[in-house]
Parts: sequence; C-alpha cells; structure tokens
Amino acid sequence: MYYQLINFGNEEFYAYPNKSLYWKRLNTLIVSDLHIGKSISYAKNKQFLPPYDTKEILKKLFVCLDQIKPRNLIIVGDLLHDVFSTLSLKDQDHKDLSKYMSNTNFIWIKGNHDKNIQIGGFKNFVNYEIDKFLFTHIPIQTSSFQICGHYHPKVKISHRGKTIFKSSFVHNEKIFILPSFGILTGGLDINSKQINNVLGKKNLNIYPIGQDKVYKL
Amino acid sequence: MNINKSNPLLLHPLTKWMKKKKWSWFPHQIETFHHVRSGSDVVVFAPTGAGKTLTGFINPIDDLIKSKKFKGLHTLYISPLKSLANDIVRNLEKPIKELDLNISFQVRTGDTTPYKKQKQRQKPPNILITTPESLALLNSYENAKEFFQNLKYIIIDEIHTFLDNKRADLLSLNIERLQTFSPNLQRIGLSATLKNKQDAKKWLCRKKSKIVSYDNSVLPKIKILESKERIPWSGHMATYSINEIYKEIMKSKLTIIFVNTRAQAEYMFKNLWLINKKKLKIAVHHGSLEKNLRLNVENNLSKGLVDCVVATSSLELGLDYGDVEKIIQVGAPKGINRLLQRVGRSNHNLNTPSKAILVPTNRFEFIEAKAAIEEIKNNNLDKIDLKEGSFDVVAQHIFATACAGQFNINDLYIEIIKAYPYKYLNFNDFKELINLIQDGGYVLKNYDQFKRISHLRENKNIYKLVNKKESLKYRMNVGTIIENPMLKIKLGTKTLGNIEEVFIQNLSQGDSFIFAGQVLEFQSMKNNLVQVKRSKSLISKIPSYSGGRMPLSTNLANSVRSLLAKSNMWDLYPDQITEWLKRQKEISKIPKKDEYLVEQFPRKKIFYTVIYTFAGWHANQTLGFLLLRGFKESNYKPLGFVANDYAIVLWSLKEVKEIKKILNIGLLDKHLDNYLEETSIVKRLFRDNAIISCLIERRLPGMEKTGKQVLFSSDLIYTVLKKNEPDHILLQSSYEDAKKNMIDYDRLEKILNKIDKKIILKKLTSISPLAVPIILEINRENLSKKETEDYILEDLEKEILKEANVLSIN
Repeated sequence: MYYQLINFGNEEFYAYPNKSLYWKRLNTLIVSDLHIGKSISYAKNKQFLPPYDTKEILKKLFVCLDQIKPRNLIIVGDLLHDVFSTLSLKDQDHKDLSKYMSNTNFIWIKGNHDKNIQIGGFKNFVNYEIDKFLFTHIPIQTSSFQICGHYHPKVKISHRGKTIFKSSFVHNEKIFILPSFGILTGGLDINSKQINNVLGKKNLNIYPIGQDKVYKL
Repeated sequence: MNINKSNPLLLHPLTKWMKKKKWSWFPHQIETFHHVRSGSDVVVFAPTGAGKTLTGFINPIDDLIKSKKFKGLHTLYISPLKSLANDIVRNLEKPIKELDLNISFQVRTGDTTPYKKQKQRQKPPNILITTPESLALLNSYENAKEFFQNLKYIIIDEIHTFLDNKRADLLSLNIERLQTFSPNLQRIGLSATLKNKQDAKKWLCRKKSKIVSYDNSVLPKIKILESKERIPWSGHMATYSINEIYKEIMKSKLTIIFVNTRAQAEYMFKNLWLINKKKLKIAVHHGSLEKNLRLNVENNLSKGLVDCVVATSSLELGLDYGDVEKIIQVGAPKGINRLLQRVGRSNHNLNTPSKAILVPTNRFEFIEAKAAIEEIKNNNLDKIDLKEGSFDVVAQHIFATACAGQFNINDLYIEIIKAYPYKYLNFNDFKELINLIQDGGYVLKNYDQFKRISHLRENKNIYKLVNKKESLKYRMNVGTIIENPMLKIKLGTKTLGNIEEVFIQNLSQGDSFIFAGQVLEFQSMKNNLVQVKRSKSLISKIPSYSGGRMPLSTNLANSVRSLLAKSNMWDLYPDQITEWLKRQKEISKIPKKDEYLVEQFPRKKIFYTVIYTFAGWHANQTLGFLLLRGFKESNYKPLGFVANDYAIVLWSLKEVKEIKKILNIGLLDKHLDNYLEETSIVKRLFRDNAIISCLIERRLPGMEKTGKQVLFSSDLIYTVLKKNEPDHILLQSSYEDAKKNMIDYDRLEKILNKIDKKIILKKLTSISPLAVPIILEINRENLSKKETEDYILEDLEKEILKEANVLSIN
C-alpha cells in the first residue's frame, strides 16, 4: 500500500490514503473519528441515510488490520456517533471485533461523541501517553507531542482555476490532526477558525489525500 | 357549433364591461365559454394579446354571479411565476371592481405573509391565484378536503411551460387530488401556440375535452443584424457587433436584448455601458439578481422609464410590457418556440407584428438564425415532448398526503395513475416510494423504530404520519426546483443577489468580477455572505452559472441541416458566410440533410476527427465521451474531445482508421454506463432526487443548511448507496433523469441507429472551413472529475517541489 512518510516529533509515521496513520517503531496503527452508526442516529431524526456505513467502516478497518497486523490500534476518539449507534453493531460485528482483539490491543480514546458508551473488549482512556506522545481526541495544554482527531480536517486547494476540497492529515510542530476515517462524515476547512485556534496559521504541514496516494503540500 | 348565430356571451356580466371599453369578444373566447359550459375540460391556444387571462375567467365569473353569494373557494388559478400571479390579480381587479361584482379574489404565493395565508385557509376567497408549489402546500393541510370540496374550476396558465418538467409532475398529481376532493371540478388550460396541441390536452384534460385555438396572428418581422464587421468563427459574446446593437437601441423607444446565459447578460451590459455616449438608460435583468433589483427593472420597463434591458429567460414570461418596440436576440435562438416567446415580448398588440433582430455571435449561429426565421414563416414550431413522471416527485407527494392525514395506499395509487405523467407507474415502484418515505426504503431494514410514516396495526393499507411534527419538514422541502448552492452578495448592507458558491471559491481576496452590471471586488466571505465593494478594475471575471444549458431543438437542427444544403441560397448571405460555405464545398463537402459528415485530418502530428451531428450539446457531449472510450478501446490513443450544438471533435495520437466500426449504435450498450459512472452527472442529479423526495432536507426549521453541506452529504450518500444497493429506487430515478435531461438519450439513439449507412467520410490533408469553429473551442482535456482532482494535486506538488529545488521521486 502506498504511503506518505511524515516526520513528526522526530518519529516516522506512515500516512495511508485510507486515512489511517501507522507508527512503525511501536507497531501501532492510529485512526480517528469513525463515527460508526451515524446513519442510525440520523434516522431517529427521520433523515434516512443508507444504513451501510457501519459495515463499510468496519470492513475498511479490518482490511487495515489484516495488512499491517499492528500490536496496538489507537482510536483517537469518536469511534461511535452516539448511543444509538450501538444498535448498528450486529452480533457478527462483535464477533469479528473480538477476533481481531486477540492479536491487537484496541485502545479507545473517548471523544465528545462517545464519552459514555462502552463496548466489550476495548480499553477505554480519556487520553493515553507513550514516549512523550499524547493521544487525545481534542488537544490539551501540554508539553508533549499530541496526536488527535475531532476536526475532520479538509484542505481547500485552488490551482489553475480549479478549486477542490480534500481530506487531509495536518500537523504543526507539536500537534498532529488525523482526518476522519468515517464514511458519512463531513469535514472542516483547515483555514477555519476552529482549526486555526489549535494549530495556528503558519508552518502547517498539510497532506491532502487523493484516490490512492497521500500528497504533500 | 355556429357561434355567429347566437353569441352565448350576450348576457354575460363581462359583456357590459367589454362594451364600455369598446372591446368585443374573440371567437376563441366565445367558443371556450360554450365548451366549458357544456362540461368539457378545455385547452385554449392563443398568442399574447388575445385576452388569454380573461378567457379563463369567463365561465367562473358567470357561474359565481349566477350562484349568488357562493361561499368558499370556487376557482383556482395556477400561474408559473409569482410575478405573473400578481399581474393576474391586477387584471382581474379591473372588471370586478368596475362592475361592482360580489366576487372575492386573492393571491397566494411564497411571498404571501403567514398571517394572510392563515386567514385565507380559514376564510377562502372565491378565486385564488397561486403557483404549483403553493397548491401542493395547501393540499398537505389536514383540512384540504373541506377547503377544496366545492371547487368548480382550475385554470392553468401558460400550460406550455409545464409540460416537460418535474413541476409538471407535481402539478399534475395535485390536480388529481383536487379532482378527488371535488369530483365535478373542470380544468381549463391556457397556452401559447403549440405544435402538439393534442399532447397538452392529454396532459391536462379528462375524457370529455376540447381544444380551442386562435391561430390567425400576425407574423412577426424578424431579420438578422446587418453588420459591416466580420462574424467571428467561434465565441458567444457578439463583441464584434456591439456598436451596431447600440445603434439599434437608439432607433427604438424601448428594446429588450435577450441573451442565452447570465454571463452573457452581464458581459453585454458591460460592453454597452462602455460605449454609452448618449447616456441611454440601460438595465440588466437575470434570475440571480436580488428580487428588489429585478422588480425595480420590471417596474421601469412597464412604465417605459428605461431605453433598454439586457435580459435572460427571466423576462421571457410574465408581465405585459406594452411599450417594448423591439427585441434583439443575441446568440443562437436554440429553438423556434423559445425565439417566438421572446419575440412576442414586443408589441402586445394583436394586429401589429412584433419586431425582432437576431445577432448571431458566430458563423454557425448565422445559419441557425436564418433557419429559425424560415421556420417561423412556415409556422413550424418545436414539439414539446411530454415526459414520463419522475419518481422523486411521487415520493414528495406521498409525504404531502401523509401530512394531510391518514390514507389508503390503494386509493392513493389509483389517484396517482390518473395523472397523465404517471399513467404507467407500476404498483411495485409505487410501493418502493412509500417505503422511501417511510424509512429510506433500504433493503437492510435498520430503521424499524424510526419510521416517518407507518401503517396501522389493524389495516396494512392505511398509513399515517408517525409524528405530526414531520409535516413541518415537508413544508420546508416542497417543490421541484433545486438551485445550485448559492451565496448572497452584499455591497455594504445592500443585497445584490445570489452567486454560485463554486464561482466564489475560485476567487481570491481582491479579485474583481461583474455582477448586477457593476464591477465588484471580492473582500470576504462570512456566514454565507459575500462582502464586496465597488471596483474600478478593468480586468474582471464574469460568473458563470452551471444550470440550464439549452440544447438546439431537434426541429431547428433539422432546419439548419436543410438550409446548409441549399447551395442556391448561399448568395443571399453576407459574403463572408458565402465564402466560408463555398470553400467548404471545394475542400470537403456540405452534408445533405440526412447525411452525417465525418472529416479527418492531421494537424501538428495529432489526428483530428470531426463529426457533424447537429444533435444539440447534450447529445454531442455524450457521444464525444462514448467515442473517446471507443477510440481508447481500439488503441487510437485519444487525447480529448470538445462538443457543441452542431459537432464533436476528437483528437488522438494515432490515425483513426475505421470510424464506422466505432461510430454506431453499439456505442450506447458498450460505454454508456461507464459514462454515467465516471462523470458526476448522475451524482448531481441524485442530489436533486434526494432533496425532492425529502430523503435529505433542503432546510431545517430554524436553521438554514448551507448549500455546501447538502451537496456534500448527498455525494456521500450517493457513493455509499451505489456500492451497497445499486438498485435503490432513487438511483433508478437519477439514472432516468440523466437519460432524459442530461444526455438526450432518445435523440442520440435515433441518430446512432443506422448512422453507419449515412456517414460521409472525408479524409483531408488539413482542417476544413466548417471545422474551424469547433477546433477553436478546444481548450480543455476531458478527464473524469476524480482523475482531474488527482491531477491537480500531482501538478501542484510537482510545482512546489520544483520551486523548492527538490527533485524527488515518490
């Protein structure tokens, strides 16, 4: 699988076009903002999105795990969209999850969407630190390097008279934000106030994601 | 019927009023009155100025007077435009007030205040003038049946604008609902002259029905602008003739210049201002301008306070501007009906001819203009094809029905198939549409506890809304017109109008563009408002609007072909055109009416194939893509194609040797699905379908969802759905829409059928005169959107690497 090498906090990370990030030294795969079951939680407001997102997200995740076989999987928040989302996890899904859990530690950093939800087999954390790297959903005040999610960053690119929006990995010196791994999830412009407040405007490293390739701007 | 012997209108209350005005009844008015009185549904065809509006009201007014103090709603009048509805009220007011008739009448459109609407529902007037969307809303209220149960007449104005679109579907379904409420309801249609009158009758009327038409109108006087300048080879802006257009404006009291796109309107307006030495009062009018600006122009127009208005189709229908002396049509007429409609905007007097001047902006358009003038002389109008009803509109109608109360699905189905567009709707599809409204209609039944409508426990055929609050959502989503995501433009605190978000995204701060006739500088975008200031910049962009590209009508295309082939006519054309055609004949060939000329020639080591189909832009665009695929498959290494209304050009690295093996009916089967898949056509139409069928919301109560968000989520839904449930009813519906509207499937199929026997192949050593216009249009490669996006990223990355002096191989 094609990857883009990203150097962050003097460590090497592999950014994949499927929106996952791999920390090879620690054999750890990182994903963010899966928002499993978004469709079912919209359905309670009578917005009937196709109910296939859960199935597709899990499939995508399992493909990653099969290929990389990481020791740890860290989800930096918003694994589930809300408490209704658990309804979209069928028995088979739970069985599949526990199969993968026998080889990989599933570390679930809680996000704003899934704070109070539990699923068997996951190790739950508010945030999680390894080797000066803090995994958290929303960045906090700290001297550590942080790897987080929450913002679903997208970058607006205008080039030769055309404008496109692309999901992307983005980081500054201290903070790394992952794109959303979900299927029906939208995104937020990297130049928006919310992301500016976290990353600032200057010296950003932006990695837009193409069809089968992660680019570097 | 012998209408001369006894005029049944002799005792009609309006006759007195007519006499006072020294007017007399037209024969078609008398005839209509007679037929309606004897219980027929009627469609009346008459040109502007022949008292169409009044024709519709003759029977209702007679009936209202006779039945004395009729309580409640008696007559419903449906107009395609809000502005037209207001105008009808003014026209109706005159006789009713002057005769002191005891008849109440009101207008109800999206602009009517909620308070007034509420009052209307409690105490309806005798005559209500409204739009199809407002009618649909009225039908969604729980008391709809009581409101309409005594309705006697429904009048559909400008029915020709309703025949071939989704609005027609919506209206048609709602007329059937009214018929259910009030079984004796009679239908009256008013239309401009049409070729296929029977079709209009089929669409509107029940069994007992009549056509009434008034055909002896005076032929308009149309000519092509005589220009000393050279008509350009290609292009659409008519810059060459701007001084002569200006002279024409000066010659007439009041002129409307019609153009084909909003961008052309802004451009023409700007160019006229640059040469406006006489300080003529010139205004611009198009659909994106703020309502107040538009109303202002319309007012000035009707009062004769301007000298000239540059307009798009936004002024085609509507108010009667009596003082307009001349119409100038800049650019291709595209269709006979459309040209006639535009020309008819001048001189609303039945006995004097309308005057119009056509300004072709390139050489093919000259031939097209000539052909259009011929066809108008021959009274050969375009046929309006009735279309089969769309699924998404039925879904919306089901939702509306549920909002009005519980309903039996079998009764609803029977009512729907009475509507002409849905004659052939089968019950299974209908049931899927019920499911779509119920819970999205997915095979994977995940939403059982969240249904929007559900059947009663004791009767599986009776459905009702699960939560009455849902009707609020229906009312926010009603209608079939979906605009592209638009942003409001603010100059200071004043709103100028709406602009496509896509256009703004391509601007940077400080860029200037032309809008509402002013040069504006883009300052910032906040909360969906685009803040601008006035600019003196000479370089400015003109916003383009993606919607509404009208293809050349089949009728006019045929006429262009036969005119082109008549070489004895050429000497009557301007020298440059004559020369052009003569050279073509020498070097290559002028195709006969039923021939398809294909020219092939090399140029700078690239091989060009030009195919003259005259199939209109949509069909040619599709054909271009299919051929590109075909060329690829045969390893001719094609690089791209460009299509316009008349022809397609493809260019390739290898010489295309056996064109007939590729250019045939087999193309459709082989590559059409691929085409729909790779371009965003279906995806875009899916968004419309999803909104119309209320799967996703246009707006949420209290919170305006930005256009961008809607676009975004519908793309995601499309992708997920296509992968998991390719047969979903909304995908089917989107494909049908694509076939009908975007790719002109039927037209293409007709052309490709047996095309192999009609191809005239010319192998040339260099470009032919006829090919020059389309070769000049080549300026882009046609890659699919996804490929293009990655191409942009790649290109940008390379540029940056180059700048940074880093050569890296990934």
